[in-house]
Amino acid sequence: MKRRMVFILIAWVCIAQLPVFALTAEEIIGKIDDIQTFSTSVSSGEISAKDRFGVKSSTFKAWTRGTSDSLIEFTSLAEKGQKVLRTKNELYLFYPDAQELIRLQGAALRQSMLGTDISYEDMTGEKDTLAQYTAVLAGQETLGTHTCHVVVLTAKTRSVAYPMQKLWIDTQSYVVWKSQYSTQSGRLLKELEVLETQEISGRLLSRKTKISDKTRKDTETTLTITSLEIDIALDPRIFSLENLTW
Amino acid sequence: MKMKLMRVAFRNIARNMRRSILSGSAIAVAAMSIVLLFALIQGMRDDMANNLKTYYTGEIRLQNARYEEFERYNPIHLTLDWEKIDPILAQESFVKAVVPRINFPANLYIKGTSHAVMGVGADFAREAAFQDTAAIVKEGRLPQAGRNEMLMGSALARDLELKLGDRVTLLSNTASRGSNAITLEIVGLSAFPVGALNARYVWVPLDRAQKFLLMGTDTQEILILLQPRTDEAEAASIIRNDILAITGVDTDTRSWKDINVLYSLIDIAQYIYYLIGIFFFLLGSTVIINTTMMVIYERMREIGTLSALGMQGHELTGLFLMEGAFISSIGAAVGVIAGMCITFYLGKAGLDFTDAMSGIDMEISSILYPHFSIWSALFVYVYAVVISTAATLIPSHKASKIEPVEALRYI
Amino acid sequence: MKFVLSLAFKNLTRYKRRTLITAIAIAVGLMMYIMVDSMLVGAEFESMRNLRWYETSSVRIHHPDYWKERLQLPLDTSIADPYQVVRLLDGQGIVATVRTTFAADMLLFAEDFGEDGNISTLVTAVDPTLDNTVFHFEDTLVEGRFLAPGENAVVMGSWLAEDIGAKVGYWVTLLTRGNGGFYEAMDMQIVGIVNCPNPNVNRTLVMVPLDTASAYLAMDGAATELDLRLSDGVDIDEQTTRVQQILTSAGMDLVAYSWEELAQDYLAIATAKRGGSSAILFLVFIIAAVGISNTMLMAIYERIRELGMMRALGMPDKDIRLAFLFEAGGIGLIGSLAGVILGVLVNVFMVEVGLDFGFLMRDMDMGYRIQSVLRGVWNYKAIVIALVAGIVLSMLVALVPTQRALKMDIPECLRHQ
Repeated sequence: MKRRMVFILIAWVCIAQLPVFALTAEEIIGKIDDIQTFSTSVSSGEISAKDRFGVKSSTFKAWTRGTSDSLIEFTSLAEKGQKVLRTKNELYLFYPDAQELIRLQGAALRQSMLGTDISYEDMTGEKDTLAQYTAVLAGQETLGTHTCHVVVLTAKTRSVAYPMQKLWIDTQSYVVWKSQYSTQSGRLLKELEVLETQEISGRLLSRKTKISDKTRKDTETTLTITSLEIDIALDPRIFSLENLTW
Repeated sequence: MKMKLMRVAFRNIARNMRRSILSGSAIAVAAMSIVLLFALIQGMRDDMANNLKTYYTGEIRLQNARYEEFERYNPIHLTLDWEKIDPILAQESFVKAVVPRINFPANLYIKGTSHAVMGVGADFAREAAFQDTAAIVKEGRLPQAGRNEMLMGSALARDLELKLGDRVTLLSNTASRGSNAITLEIVGLSAFPVGALNARYVWVPLDRAQKFLLMGTDTQEILILLQPRTDEAEAASIIRNDILAITGVDTDTRSWKDINVLYSLIDIAQYIYYLIGIFFFLLGSTVIINTTMMVIYERMREIGTLSALGMQGHELTGLFLMEGAFISSIGAAVGVIAGMCITFYLGKAGLDFTDAMSGIDMEISSILYPHFSIWSALFVYVYAVVISTAATLIPSHKASKIEPVEALRYI
Repeated sequence: MKFVLSLAFKNLTRYKRRTLITAIAIAVGLMMYIMVDSMLVGAEFESMRNLRWYETSSVRIHHPDYWKERLQLPLDTSIADPYQVVRLLDGQGIVATVRTTFAADMLLFAEDFGEDGNISTLVTAVDPTLDNTVFHFEDTLVEGRFLAPGENAVVMGSWLAEDIGAKVGYWVTLLTRGNGGFYEAMDMQIVGIVNCPNPNVNRTLVMVPLDTASAYLAMDGAATELDLRLSDGVDIDEQTTRVQQILTSAGMDLVAYSWEELAQDYLAIATAKRGGSSAILFLVFIIAAVGISNTMLMAIYERIRELGMMRALGMPDKDIRLAFLFEAGGIGLIGSLAGVILGVLVNVFMVEVGLDFGFLMRDMDMGYRIQSVLRGVWNYKAIVIALVAGIVLSMLVALVPTQRALKMDIPECLRHQ
C-alpha cells in the first residue's frame, strides 16, 4: 500500500514537470506568427529617428493585407503625400512631385527609409520565419519584469539578410520584447526593443518599438503605433499601383 | 672715345649684316619661344582661376558655419538664410555680383536604374551677372524659374542616351532629412568649358530645388564676385562680420584662395610649367651664348688689327660689349614682339585642346587663351639682353688680352 | 675621295675652337631634347605601368556575365574554379593570380581612431602567395608586413590610412553582404601599409586575404576575377586574344579583357597629354635646331675666303662641296655623339633616381598615375632621332652657304668678310 502511494507520488511529480518543456521553439515561433499576423490592418503612427544631427519625426498611416501587402502613406508635413507600397517582393515609392513611380529592387532596397534605422529591405520579404530559419529554444531569461523564452534562429539559406536572430519572447503574452539581428558569428547588427504594448482584439501588440542600427554610433529610431484596427474589411484596390499614383 | 666706339660698333654691325642677322635671329627665336611659353602658362593659370571662380566657388563663398565639418554626410539641412543675407550683400560697395546656389547629390532614376549625379539649383536670371549664361547652353535653352525643367550636361545626356524633351526623375535627400523625388523635363544641354561639368551635373531652377529639397527660401551656398582690385580676404571678413552683426548668425565666409584644395591646384600646375619654362630659358641661353662666342672668335683677326692700331684692352671689350648689347636688344625686341603678336592672336582665337582635354578631371577649359602680359614680355626682354650681353663679355675680354700678333695670325 | 676626306678631317682638327663651339651647340641642343622627351614619355609610360602594376594587371579574366554588372560588384557571377584556370595558364607559361573584389562599409572605432565612424570602401581580396607575382604591392610596403593566408588582416594604401588616421595594429570591421545577400561583419586588424606610386590606389586600397574573405562571403571557392601578368613590351591585343583562345579551347566559359579595355574606366588622359607634350617637344626641337643652324652657318660663312682659295687653286667644286659637307657632318657627328652621350648620362640618372615631386601630387586627380618620383625612360627612338637629326641638320645647314659660295666669283669669295 505504502509502496503504491510513493509510486503514484513520483509519477505525479514526473508528470507535473512535463508541461514546462512541452513547448518547442517552432511552436513558440508559430504562436508569435499567429498573434502578429492579421488578415488586414489599418494603423497610424509616428516614426522618430535620432542621429548625429538631432531628431526627425514623421507621421504615417498604414494599411496591410496578409503578410505581404502593405501601403504606407506619410502624413507629416515634410513627407506629405509620399507613399510606399510593398507587394510580395517588390517595393514602390510614390512622390507627389514625381511623375513616375520609383521601383526599388536589388541593392537599392538596402537603403534606409527616411533616414531611419529601418531599411526598405527590412520591410520586404515574407514573414514566413520557419521556412527560412531553424529555431532552437535556448532557455529562459528575465527582461525587466517579463519572463521570456529565448529563441535562437539560424538561417537555413544564404539569401536572408540576417543569418542569426535572437528573440526574447514573453512566456505569457508572446510579445517579443527584444530581438537581436546578427551575423553568423554573432556580431550584432540591429536590435529591436518593445517599449510599450497595447491590447487590440485580444492580442497584445507593440505600441512603441525602438530600433537601432548597431553598426553606427548613436542612432536609434522609435516607431509608435497610435491607432490600430485589425481584421477589418479593406478595399483591395488600396494595394494597387493605380491607387499609389492617385 | 665713347662716341666713337659707338659709331664703330654700329658700323661693324651694319657692315656685316649677315653675321649680325644670324646672331640676332638666334636670340630672337629663343626670346620668342619663352614669351610664348609664359603666355601659355599664364593663360592656363588664368583659365583655371576663372573656372574655379565662375563654376565652383566665386571669389568669396558663403556656407553654413557647420557645413564643412559634416561635409562628408551631405548636410543639406545646414543652410543659409538667403532672404536675410541678400540685402546685406547688396549694401556692400565692393560686391559686383551675387548668386545663390544649392549643390545636392542626387540619383537620376531612369527605367528602373539609378545613376548618381550632382544637382545644382541656380537662379538663372541672377547668374547672367555672374557668368556668360548664353554660352553654356549647347542645345535648347536655360530652365525657367517656377517650372520643372533641367539643364543636363551634354556628355551625361549622351551617356544615358537622353535628349531634349525627355523627362527624368531626380531623387535626393531633403533638408528635413527625409527624401523626395521630382520629375523634370530636359530643356537644355550644357556645354561648359570645363569637361567635368558636362559629364556629371544637372542644373535646375533655384526655386524648384528649394521646394524639392524642402529648403523654403534658404540656400546652401552664396557665391560672390568682387569689384576689380578688391582684397578678397579682407572682403570676406567684412562680409562675415556684417552678416553676424545684422542677423546674429555666423557663417563660413572665405575667399576662394582659402578654400584649400582647389586653389592649390593652380599653384601646382603653374609650378610644373615654370619648371619647363626654366628648361627653355637654359636652352635659349645656351644658344645665345654659343652664337655670340662664335661671333667673337670669327673676328679674331679684326680684334688683332684693332689692337695693333692702338685700341686699348678695355676699349675692345667695350666695343664688343656694345655690339653685343645692340644686336641682342634688337634681336630680343624682335623675338619678344613676334611672341607677343602670336600670343595676341592666339589670345583671341584660342588654342583648341578639346580632344586633348576630354576626360581630364581638372578644372581647365578645353580652349585655352594664352595671356598677353606686358610684364612677362618685359621680363623676357631684359633677360635676353642681359644674357646675350653677358655672353659677349667673357670672350671679348679674352680677346682683348690676346697679343695683336697672335690675333692677326688667326684664321 | 680620300683626299677630300682627309681634308675635311684635317680641317676639323685644325679649327679646334670652332669645331668645339659648334659641336657644343649641337650637343647641348640634343641633350635637352633627349631629356625633355625622356621625361614626357617617362611620365606617360609610368602612368601606364602603374596602372598595370597596381590596378588592372595586363589581362583580366571574368565570368561572362560579370562585366555588365561590374559597377554593382556582384558576387554571384564569379569564376567557379579559379585555381584550375591558374594551373591551365601556368602550363602555357602565363603567370596569374586570383582576386575577389567587393564593396564594404569600413567601421572605425573610437578605441583606435579617436572617434567612431564609417567610410565606404572597395575591398580587394588577394591570394597572398600569388598576388606578388602579378602585382607589385609587396615592394611598396612602408609599414608592417604583407598579408598571410587565412588571417583576419588588412593592408591599406598610405593615403587612405593617413586620411582616416589608421596605424598598423588598429582594428576595423568590414560590413558587407555575402554571396546571397546575408550580412557579414569581418573584424580585421591592419597589418601593413603600402605606399605605391599609383596615387589612385594609395587613396582607396583595402586588401584582405582571399581565403578569409571567401569564407566570410560564402564564395565556395569561387572568385570574381583572375589577373594575369604579361611583360611590358608585348602587343596586348594579341596576347589577350591568345589568352581567350586558351580559355575557350579548354572549354571554359570565361572572358579575357586587356588592360586597355579595363583602363577605359580609369583614364582617358594619355592621348591628351601626348598632344601637349608633342608641342613642348617641338618647341625644344626648334630651339635646338636654331642653335645648331646658327652656329653652323657662321662657321661656314667664316670660311668663304678659304673656300675661294681652294677654288682658285683649282679644286673641283664637287670636291669642295663634299669636303665642307663632310666637315659639317663631322662636326655634326661629334656634337651629336656628345649630345647623345650627355643625354644618356642624364637619362641614367633620370631612370634610376628620377625627380621627386611628391609634395605636389597629394590631392590632385590629374589622371596621370604618377606619384612622387618622375622617372625617365629609355626611349631609343628619341635618341636615334636626335643623333640622326644632329648630323643631317648640320650637313643641310652647311650646304646652303657652301652652294652660295660656289656660285660666287672667285675674287668675290676671296674678298669675303
